[in-house]
Amino acid sequence: MTVLLEIENLTKSFGGVHAVRNCTFSIPEGQVIGLIGPNGAGKSTVVDLVSGFGRPDSGSVRFAGEPIVGKRPDVISRLGLIRTFQTPREWRNLTVMDNVLLARRRFANESLWRSLTRARRIRREEEADRAVVRVILERFQLAELRNELADRLSGGQKRLLEFARIAAAEARLIILDEPMGGVNPVLGARIGEAVGHFAGEGRSVIVVEHNLPFIERTCHQVVVMDLGEVIAQGPFSGLRNNPRVVDAYLGMDQSHG
Amino acid sequence: MYWVSVFTEAGIFAILALGLDMVWGWSGDFDLAFYGYLAIGSYMTFVLSIGKPTPPVEYIIGWHLPVLIAIPLAVVVVVGLAAVVGAIALRNLRGIYFAVTTLGAVSALYLLVENYTPLFDGYNGVYGLINPGQSALNLTYNGYRIFFLVIVLVLLFLSYLLVQRLSRSPFGRMVRSVREDERAAAAYGRQVFFTKYRAYLFGAALAGLTGGLFAIFISAFNPSAWTPQELLLIYAAILIGGRGNPRGVILGVFVVYIGFIELTRYLPSPASRPDFGPALRQVLIGLLIILMLRFRPEGVFRERPGLDTERGPAGRPRPGWVEALATAAKGTAVPPASQRAAARRRAGE
Repeated sequence: MTVLLEIENLTKSFGGVHAVRNCTFSIPEGQVIGLIGPNGAGKSTVVDLVSGFGRPDSGSVRFAGEPIVGKRPDVISRLGLIRTFQTPREWRNLTVMDNVLLARRRFANESLWRSLTRARRIRREEEADRAVVRVILERFQLAELRNELADRLSGGQKRLLEFARIAAAEARLIILDEPMGGVNPVLGARIGEAVGHFAGEGRSVIVVEHNLPFIERTCHQVVVMDLGEVIAQGPFSGLRNNPRVVDAYLGMDQSHG
Repeated sequence: MYWVSVFTEAGIFAILALGLDMVWGWSGDFDLAFYGYLAIGSYMTFVLSIGKPTPPVEYIIGWHLPVLIAIPLAVVVVVGLAAVVGAIALRNLRGIYFAVTTLGAVSALYLLVENYTPLFDGYNGVYGLINPGQSALNLTYNGYRIFFLVIVLVLLFLSYLLVQRLSRSPFGRMVRSVREDERAAAAYGRQVFFTKYRAYLFGAALAGLTGGLFAIFISAFNPSAWTPQELLLIYAAILIGGRGNPRGVILGVFVVYIGFIELTRYLPSPASRPDFGPALRQVLIGLLIILMLRFRPEGVFRERPGLDTERGPAGRPRPGWVEALATAAKGTAVPPASQRAAARRRAGE
């Protein structure tokens, strides 16, 4: 099993607070990894550090063998790592179709010069992308809404739009930051399916989530963090008997699982 | 002749507004330095196209170049200036911080131009660019003014085509995605700063061109010609016409410049209060902005997203050529271009 993402001794503090301390774990290709832990454990900070939205104080991150610490978020994204945020961040005053087309990431056609001189050719090339996007929107039940502004969608539909964008981006590693926040059970099942689908296509997925049944259903392995450190790692079933994990997290949260 | 000059002025400002709209409408940055780019474009066109100064007048350069060379050079200078201001202001500053920084930049520029006389002769300003090419074209004074109006309108039309093409292109879409959510745009691989920067420089280039045209139009330029109020009028015009929509922006400029500024000249002004007319004009424009914001904040024309016209897999099946023919035979309508294209594709398959 090849390793896609390697995090080693990642450390970050904000003032006197150690948000992340000597964090080490790796993500194999084609697997879904759950990243769990109580609030303030440092999960979201790890996501930010890996995706370039924050700079670690020390430690290294390798994506497909390439060190990515210190690179800008857009550079890391272009290497094939797509992340989401805790709340869906759709481009509100663009249509659903444009939102997903942007996620197709045809950077070459976005050059100012080409946009002026090759308009017709770009339009032709875009038609192929539109066809792909229509199929994706269909899968997420957004096809009828594709000419609506993303702002008009309901909260659940915005979640689906986020997933449609990820599906369109064809990334190698997908990081989902709390994808189940404010999601009803039916939609939750669809999101679970989507995550399984991504893994089936050979993509790796990191899921940061508080919903433990969801983690249990969708993830091959789980990384548990507490107070900025990784305290356990392995299949979900093994964690129930790990006293540190129970103490830090499950013990306080038995209603979930 | 009066109306010729009114339309010329509106046409010139419409080009400026197209450029400003790329910065404010597409990219979402409220730029207060923008009128400075018009001013520098104007000054540079002057000093490049008029001869050496005779003391006590002083200014730089004085190369006596034809305007057709002077204006492009002025545009280059303006883009260079915008490159410096943009590199500082666009990197991390947004919203009010960006606005204040650009205001600072244009204020510094203003003070420099006004007080450092060797540059553009300070408060007196530069002049002497009177109807360039009039004798070569063998035109009367009025004939030249009409000719110049036509030139301005042609340039406006070309700018519109250029901006409209960009607006609908992947570039325009990318700039707007950065406006809507920078972090999401970065997460999907867009270089936030560079994207905004390119839109900014393109807008500044249009402002530089406007400056050159403005130089020919008013044939003299000094600091009193570029007070901050001028820029607010352009912002009002964009707001009224439709932020982000090139067609709306042009409409807005013509509405504000012709509908409000010029037509209100005919309002009766009591002899005892000659300032009544101009004051009323300001009030009316303020009122119009308030009414627009209350009842139609997106402007007359809203920013129009490109619509996806083909039916999705779940939609009704696309009408085949039989239906299309039937519709056409009824004389109601020719099928839209997209359907015709689709029909051609099917025929080719």
